[in-house]
Amino acid sequence: MQTVPKRLAMKLNLARAPQLQPADIVPIFQRWIQQRTVPGLLIDVIDYKHVPDGPGVVLVADEADYAWDLGAGQAGLRYIRKRALPDDLSAALRLCWAGALAAAQALEAEAPGDIVFDYQLVEISYLDRLQYPNDRQVAATALAALATSLQEIFGTKLQLQRLHDDPRYLLAFHCVAGRSLADSLPSPARAD
Amino acid sequence: MTTWKERLKDEIPLEMAKLIDTYEAQMSLRQQGKMDEKVFAEARLRKGVYGQRYDNGQRHDGVRTQALAYPSEDIVKGPDTLWDAPGMQRIKIPYGGLSARQLDVLSELADEYADGILHITTRQDIQLHYVHIDDTPDLMRRLAAVGITTQEACGNSVRNITACSLAGVCHDEAFDVSPYADAMTQFLLAHDDVQDFGRKFKVAFSGCAGQACGLVKMHDLGLLAQSREVAGELQRGFTVFVGGGLGTVPHQAKALADFVTPEQLLPLTQAIARVFARLGEKKNRNRARLKFLVAKLGIDEFRSLVEAELAALPHDPRHTAYLDNVRDFVYEPAKAGLQLNGAPLPEGFDEWYRSNVYRQVQAGYSVVTLHTPLGDFTAQQGFQLADIARKYVGDNIRLTVEQNIVLRWVADADLPALCRDLRKIGLGDAHAGSIVDITTCPGTDTCKLGIASSRGLTAELRTRLIERINLLPDAVRELKIKVSGCFNSCGQHHVADIGFFGNSRRSGNHKLPHFQVVLGGQWQQNAGNYGLAVGAVPAKTVPAVLAALTERYVAERAEDQNFQSWVKQLGRKEIKAMLKPFMQLPTFEDNPAFFSDWGDSRVYTIEDIGVGECAGEVVSLFSMEISKAESTHFEALLALDDGDFRRADERAYRAMVLAARALVRTKYLDVGDDNDRIVNEFRERFYDTELVYDRFAKGKFARYLFKRHAGQPSLLDEDYAHQIIDETQLFIENIHSAEQRINGVIVA
Repeated sequence: MQTVPKRLAMKLNLARAPQLQPADIVPIFQRWIQQRTVPGLLIDVIDYKHVPDGPGVVLVADEADYAWDLGAGQAGLRYIRKRALPDDLSAALRLCWAGALAAAQALEAEAPGDIVFDYQLVEISYLDRLQYPNDRQVAATALAALATSLQEIFGTKLQLQRLHDDPRYLLAFHCVAGRSLADSLPSPARAD
Repeated sequence: MTTWKERLKDEIPLEMAKLIDTYEAQMSLRQQGKMDEKVFAEARLRKGVYGQRYDNGQRHDGVRTQALAYPSEDIVKGPDTLWDAPGMQRIKIPYGGLSARQLDVLSELADEYADGILHITTRQDIQLHYVHIDDTPDLMRRLAAVGITTQEACGNSVRNITACSLAGVCHDEAFDVSPYADAMTQFLLAHDDVQDFGRKFKVAFSGCAGQACGLVKMHDLGLLAQSREVAGELQRGFTVFVGGGLGTVPHQAKALADFVTPEQLLPLTQAIARVFARLGEKKNRNRARLKFLVAKLGIDEFRSLVEAELAALPHDPRHTAYLDNVRDFVYEPAKAGLQLNGAPLPEGFDEWYRSNVYRQVQAGYSVVTLHTPLGDFTAQQGFQLADIARKYVGDNIRLTVEQNIVLRWVADADLPALCRDLRKIGLGDAHAGSIVDITTCPGTDTCKLGIASSRGLTAELRTRLIERINLLPDAVRELKIKVSGCFNSCGQHHVADIGFFGNSRRSGNHKLPHFQVVLGGQWQQNAGNYGLAVGAVPAKTVPAVLAALTERYVAERAEDQNFQSWVKQLGRKEIKAMLKPFMQLPTFEDNPAFFSDWGDSRVYTIEDIGVGECAGEVVSLFSMEISKAESTHFEALLALDDGDFRRADERAYRAMVLAARALVRTKYLDVGDDNDRIVNEFRERFYDTELVYDRFAKGKFARYLFKRHAGQPSLLDEDYAHQIIDETQLFIENIHSAEQRINGVIVA
């Protein structure tokens, strides 16, 4: 069985550039805290939009952060699971997917027709350089295990591609499906 | 599964590894409720592990205060500070000097343990925010493996030692202060004489009197490089300033000595530290900085005390051993220095060159400043910048007190290519050091003491100023703006042309975020003059206030008149009159936008202000020292659990020695760290005098120490390990009781 990384992140990119600006996300995330819109112990909102290609606007929570992420010049929703990951990789991925999906759909509801995510591509990062250094051998093993788990979760085979071969960068994969994964189980309600 | 501790065991210097192990053991003790929360808080702060806003488990969401129910809500890491609440990790970067490899590791830590952002502070530190305390020991180990420490980055000790980022390449300096800053960092780190301060102690070096970079006049201890001719030879030395500081009540430092030679530098510093430790305020944290002691005693009396302390200082070979390193301190440029050679220049190069490039004293080389907005850059930029550094300058990277990065030893011929490469990673903007390059503290974003959003205001001003930068007259472009979220001056608002610090005012039943306007501070001359507060304006009017001030300055200034002079000429009364229209407070109903802070959609409140940790916890020297004994005892227990009886014995013995040392140091500070000496002093002062005697057991517990000190037993089995660990526990308890019983006698 593949060891679960200490932290795991999933990013869903926007399908197209929205009218909405990063600054508009701050009040949305603030309201999510008031109304507890997404799962988790929601703590605060940080605004990093002044930093190019950075984490953008982050809704910090205890278990997982939700970011209107601008990394790699591509806006999207990044869900970073920091704590309480299950021991099983498939279960951990399910949990992250549920969290990412819940936030993405909540954002779409904030600006219908303007915010639209591409649910055929998921970027998955392993935030654990101790167990998952970004080298070729570890990447190959991780990719095989990840492919199996994702197929089990989504019921379809995804094409996986390692994002960087620079060992300093996080081990990360682009996972591309032949169809939208938005209606795949689990439902957002199971995020926690 | 392997751990970072195992993975890096051969890469971390032994002393650093021990300090981190001790801290990790203290964490375990605190989690088990076996270590006092205040003592742990100070121990944690001295590792740079700082609290953040909302770590008391409450946050106002704009409508009501919500409880933040963290998983381990019954465990605290300090008074009113919940264990699971995210915190800040401050990382010391002495004189801002970084290698490319260190930058890589810092960046790795930022995206693994924090929020992907590295923040540069006004003390040339790096801060990572939203870090869980459980991750801090591994984070420290990974730093230690590349020669970086967090030791004493916060707490009541010597903070990161700063120095001009141009040191060694500057046209104005007497000599390069870098190796001296480095030596002082090494000497004072975890030094016995800096463990018993009532507050923090800040040290800075400057290479010249005229420029700003070193800011020695606003430091507890400022060292200004001087050279003089003695018998036909140029001799290096320092003018020593003491008792400067910003904070609520800013003080200009006073000259303690006109010329101190490099041989005298470290002993003099040690003597100053001893006087501060002995006579500095310990109870009232608001009066505990060195500046208050110097003001209370007067500089002459303070000087006499330091001289007396200096005369009594024990010999330490380290006082002068560093001088060999000074002679060997050289820079290794990545490339030969070559002039600009007519290669095509990127668009906007001239403007970037004017504001961001400084020609070094060494022909063919320049320093390039990278402007990081609000002091932030991403982990990704960190990796990319490390690559750029390797390509152009090697390890010649420094952080600046203006929250920027400089690349030194850039061959002039590489400037166009470097400019292009920096732009590709978003670090090639022009206007470094100009009015758009605003210094700011974290403010209400993450600081528990923040009253108004200094970062929100800075981001707003920066956006507006960048749009108009090409329309601004040079006199305005060159102004310095610095912003603090409260009166504590972390954004250094006192030494800016235009400074702001956060406060609040009431209108009806609501509060409004405000900023006090501070004008006429002097950045040059090593922070030569502090500005004056002229009035508080609503946060939302600050951009208009800035426009009004700068427009009037441009319209009325005499040719070549600087801002400070103009402010002085205008006078406080006239400035106040100018600000008055901006001070009008709307009602909430009329203008609700005024009742939210910049970058924050919540209705403003001051309910989230907590108790800051800048001051550290006032904990006795004995408490700090005995806690080290307790954590070492805990390490012995862990070794026993692992079946490593030899290590269990070694740790238990060490714990007993540390406990004895804790008691001895209450009476004899200079006992040092030699086991024989500690045990002898303990025996003479506390055992032979029966001061340590238990009412019933008499000297039995002390004899556990003497027995083990006499020699290790031949058989190190589990039974023995159990026994010595139990004895150690009893001995530590005995020391606690003895200290409580006789403390008054000792202190008197």
